[in-house]
Amino acid sequence: MVRLLNYLNEHSVMLKRIFFVFLILTVVFDLYVKRHEMHFFGDAIIGFWSLFGIIGCLGMIIVCKGLSHVWLMKKEDYYDK
Amino acid sequence: MISSTVLIHPTTWFLGGAVLLPFLEKKDKLRKAVLIGIPLIAFTLIHWLPDSFGHVSYLGFDLVFGRVDRLTRVFLHVFTIMAFIGCIYGLHVKETGQHIAAFLYVGGSLGVTLCGDYLTLYIFWEMMAFSSVFLIWYRKKRQSIEAGFRYILVHTTGGLVLLAGIFLRYQNIHDLSFVQIATNGATFADYLIMIGFMLNAAVPPIHAWLPDAYPEASVTGAVFMCAFTTKTAVYVLARGFPGFEALAILGAIMTVYGVGYAVVENDARRILAYHIVSQVGYMVCGIGIGTAMAVNGAVAHAYAHIIYKGLLFMGAGAVLEMTGKSKLNELGGLYKRMPWAMVFTVIGGISISGFPLTSGFISKSMIIAAAGVSHHPVLMLMMDLAAVGTFLSVGIKLPYFIWFGKDSGVEAKDAPWNMNLGMAIAAFLCFFLGIFPDYLYKMLPYPVYWHPYNTYHLSETLQLLGFTGLGFFIMVKKLKPEPKINLDVDWFYRKGARAFLGFASRRVVPTNDWVNDVYRNIGMRATMALAKAFSWFDWEGIDWTVDGSAKGVVEGGNRLRSLMTGKIQHYIGAAVALTFIILILVVLI
Repeated sequence: MVRLLNYLNEHSVMLKRIFFVFLILTVVFDLYVKRHEMHFFGDAIIGFWSLFGIIGCLGMIIVCKGLSHVWLMKKEDYYDK
Repeated sequence: MISSTVLIHPTTWFLGGAVLLPFLEKKDKLRKAVLIGIPLIAFTLIHWLPDSFGHVSYLGFDLVFGRVDRLTRVFLHVFTIMAFIGCIYGLHVKETGQHIAAFLYVGGSLGVTLCGDYLTLYIFWEMMAFSSVFLIWYRKKRQSIEAGFRYILVHTTGGLVLLAGIFLRYQNIHDLSFVQIATNGATFADYLIMIGFMLNAAVPPIHAWLPDAYPEASVTGAVFMCAFTTKTAVYVLARGFPGFEALAILGAIMTVYGVGYAVVENDARRILAYHIVSQVGYMVCGIGIGTAMAVNGAVAHAYAHIIYKGLLFMGAGAVLEMTGKSKLNELGGLYKRMPWAMVFTVIGGISISGFPLTSGFISKSMIIAAAGVSHHPVLMLMMDLAAVGTFLSVGIKLPYFIWFGKDSGVEAKDAPWNMNLGMAIAAFLCFFLGIFPDYLYKMLPYPVYWHPYNTYHLSETLQLLGFTGLGFFIMVKKLKPEPKINLDVDWFYRKGARAFLGFASRRVVPTNDWVNDVYRNIGMRATMALAKAFSWFDWEGIDWTVDGSAKGVVEGGNRLRSLMTGKIQHYIGAAVALTFIILILVVLI
C-alpha cells in the first residue's frame, strides 16, 4: 500500500489532470439531471453547486483566516499568563 | 421479578463491569473478556427489551428506568455498538481506572436514553458528567487537569439549570414524566430544561467546554466522549423539544460556527472537536425543524456521526499515541509510516463530508432536504456551506497535513492491532450504511420516504465536493497550520475567572484589610467612645431618671412638709378659698 501511495505521490500531475476532468464531468452531468423538486432559485441554475462550492470554500478560508489573524489568534500559552 | 427487571437494563451490566474490573487487574485475559463481553451483552439485550419496565415508586415519585420506543431503540443500538468499538480500541490500556470511567459513562448514557422521568434522567445525566471528567484527567497532563476542572464546572452549572427547570416544572404541573413538550405551551421551566440539554449538545454560546476539553482527554477517552455526551443530548432534545424554531436557527448557526473554527485550528483533535459542534448542529437543526423527515434525518445523522466521528478520533488518537503529537504543524508525511491509520481516517473524513456510498451521504442529505421541503432555504444554504467547510477541514486539510504535505520526519509505526481493528470495524460500518441505507432507515422513528441516491442530489454533492477540493488546492499555502490557538467564548470564563481572582487578590483582599484597619483605628475608638457615651448615659441618664425620681419624691416630701405649717387658720383659709373656687366654677358652668 505504501508503494501505491508513493506511486501516486510521484505522479501528481496525472492526478491533477484526472481531478480537473472529474470537475468538468460533474458540471456536464448537471446538464442532464432531472430536477423534480425545486426549493429555491439555485436549484434551477446549472452548475449552481459548483459555484457555491468554490465561492463558499474560498470565502470561508478568507473570512476565517482573516478573523483569526486580525482578532482571535493568540499564542499557545495565552491562557497561562 | 425485580431482579429480572434489573438484569435486563443494559446500564446494570456496565455498572457491574465497572465494579468487577478492579479485581481483574492481574488477570489480563479475563479483563479483556469483560471489556468486550459487556458491550456485546448490552447490544444483545437491547433487542429484547420490553416497551416499559423498571417502574419504582420512591418517596412518592414514580421513577421509570425503562421506556422503550423506536427513538430509544435506534440510539441504544448505536451507543452499544460504539461502546463495543471503543472497548476494542482501548483494549491495550493498562489503567483499569480509564475502563471503569468509560463503563460508568456509557452506563449513564444508556440510562438517560432509557429513562422515562426527569429525576432518573437527572441522576444518569450527572453520572455521565462525573465519570467522563476522569477520561480527561487520565491524560495526566497539567492542561488536562485544568481542562477537566473547567469541564466539570461547566457541566455542574448546566446540570443545576436542568435541575432548576425540573423543580419548576414539577411545581407547575406536578408531573415529572419525560415526554414531548408542545411548542405553544412551553413555560420558563421547560426552557430551563432545554438550556440544560443544549449545554450538553454544545449549542453556541454554551459550547466552548467541548473544544476545550476533548483535545485534552486521553486517547481512548476522547473516542468515548465524542460519541456519548452530545448525542445523548441530541436524544433528549429529540424526545422533548422537536419543532422548537430556536433550535432550528441555533443548529444552523452551529454548523457554520464549528467549521469556521475547524478551518483555522491547528490541533488535530481540536479540529475534530469543533466538527462535533458543527455536526451536532445538523441534528439540532433537524430537531428544530421538527417534521417527520427532519427528525428522522437528525436521528440518522446521530447514528452515522457517532461511527465516523469515533473513527476520526481513533485515527487522530492513533497518531497521538504513536508519535506523541497531535498538532498539524508538527506532523506531516506520515503516510509511509502509518498507512493503515491514514486509510481509516480518510474513510472517516469522506464519510463526514458526505461522499456518495458513505454514511454521511445518506444521513446529512436527509436533514438538508428536509430543510428544503419545509421551506427554509436559508437554513439549507447554511448547512450546505457547512458541508463545504467540513470537506475542506476534515476531509482534506486534516489528512493532508498529517499524512502528506511536508515530511516532518516524525518517527512512527502503525498502531497496535486492537486500535486498527476498532478503526476497521468503524470504517466498515461507514461504507455499510452508505451502501445499504435501508438498514438504518428501518430503525428510524418515522417511516422514511427519502431516496438519497437520486441524480440531482448526486450531482449537487459531487459538484460541491469537487469544487471545494479545487478551492483547497488553490489556497493550500494560506491554510498552512500555525502553532497558535484561537479565542472562543471560553475566554469569558477562563480570563473572567482570572480577572475575578485578580480582582479578589488585588481589590477584595486589600479592601478587606483596609476595612480591618479602619475598624481597628476608627472603629475601636468609636466603639470605646460609644462605650463611654453609654456609660455616661447610664450614669447620668438612666440613673438620673431613676434616682432623680427618687430624689424628686424626697424633695416633694420635704416641700409638702414645709407646707404643713401646723397653723389651723391657714388650713381654714385654704379650705374656704377652695370652696369659693368650686362654687364659682359650678355657677359659671
